[in-house]
Amino acid sequence: MKKVLFILVFVSAISAATTVLNGQCNPDNFANACIPKLASGFNFLKSYKVDGEGGSKDKVEYSYVFTKGTQYMINLCANGANTDGLIVTLFDSGRNKVATSKINGQFISAIAYPCNATGIYYIQYTFDGSAGNCGGSALGFKR
Amino acid sequence: MKLVTIGFLALFLAACGSSKKPDEKAFLESLDSAKSGPTIDEEVISSILQQIPSPLEISVLLKESGTKYNSTILNTSDNLSKYNSNYKKALNLGVYGTDLGYTNIYEQNQDGIKYLTSIKSLADGLNIGQFFDIETIGRLATNSKNLDSLLLITTQNFNSINHYLQTQSRANLSVLLLIGGWVEAMQITCQVAAKDIKNKDLQEKIGEQKIILEQIVLLLSFYKDDTNMASLLKDMEDLKGAFDKINITYTYKESTMEIVDGVAVIKDNSTTTINITEQDVANIRNLTNSLRNKIIS
Repeated sequence: MKKVLFILVFVSAISAATTVLNGQCNPDNFANACIPKLASGFNFLKSYKVDGEGGSKDKVEYSYVFTKGTQYMINLCANGANTDGLIVTLFDSGRNKVATSKINGQFISAIAYPCNATGIYYIQYTFDGSAGNCGGSALGFKR
Repeated sequence: MKLVTIGFLALFLAACGSSKKPDEKAFLESLDSAKSGPTIDEEVISSILQQIPSPLEISVLLKESGTKYNSTILNTSDNLSKYNSNYKKALNLGVYGTDLGYTNIYEQNQDGIKYLTSIKSLADGLNIGQFFDIETIGRLATNSKNLDSLLLITTQNFNSINHYLQTQSRANLSVLLLIGGWVEAMQITCQVAAKDIKNKDLQEKIGEQKIILEQIVLLLSFYKDDTNMASLLKDMEDLKGAFDKINITYTYKESTMEIVDGVAVIKDNSTTTINITEQDVANIRNLTNSLRNKIIS
């Protein structure tokens, strides 16, 4: 198992490091790089591509049904430090803000969300002062 | 434009001779079923599809709550030979996917390998076998220490299949795969709940499926011009009728956050209350059972 995870991390890291060097966003590489970075005990569910199309797109949004009693983790991967300005914000079905990865001006690379209310949630990615406007993310769960 | 493209493709294939290889045949069949739908932008369909939770979540819940493994509630892999149409193959690929996840979570590797073989066969039949890495999964399944990797690769393979189908304008098969998986997870939950009728957590777990079923009915409604999809939609609407009696109340309250070891940990202060009776659970169980038997037979 360690060997498989090592290969996944290694391949993903190499791909992610080179993914925006040529100026083109390849969010697949970032999304794949994020999967092995989910904290221990979390089962992988989905990976999300975040392509800001060079700054022309200000947000990328997905949705998922979160269920009560389950803890979810959403992490972020992008080039450079501070997640390159990539932020994830979680909204409930009524568009009320539930969580964000930018807290007091600090960019956090992962959020853990122990869900207490079942429903459709919107997972919204935005950029704040980003150089690449490119990244990826993974969603995992544990009970 | 789509019709012109299909026409050229059909002419090209006809010119290549009539002795079609099995994967070509499957490809043509899938084109046939794509003629009558969907009636909405496929991006909308993809966005609904990707919000449906993984059946793995239910299996983890059951194991964590102390429920014992029970292979008799799963669809036997011996039923594989019954699934000859693309419609049945896609539905039962979803069913077996859920069963595989269940056996994996309970580390029942021998049973898991049987499902792997059936899954590979159905995926090949739908011309998507290339996304299922049976060799790696089979190797990981032989050792319970590989559980994390096994779950990861299996989930990635199913995600790749769904992504591929959607990019190939074959989202109808993706919808069926998802529905098969959901119905099987419902069936497993209902069977477990039937033996533990006072278990409130399980009752709530069944009740909250109302939210997912509404999305499934919406998805199927886009394909109602297709006979098979229309029939499935009718069954799902009947099931939705039983769910309509369940009341889910959501109360929003602003959450709080703290940073722990570099992770923003949220304290969710919102709540949902699910009002479901034992009679509701019994009705849902009966309808689910009948629908699931139709799918696997």
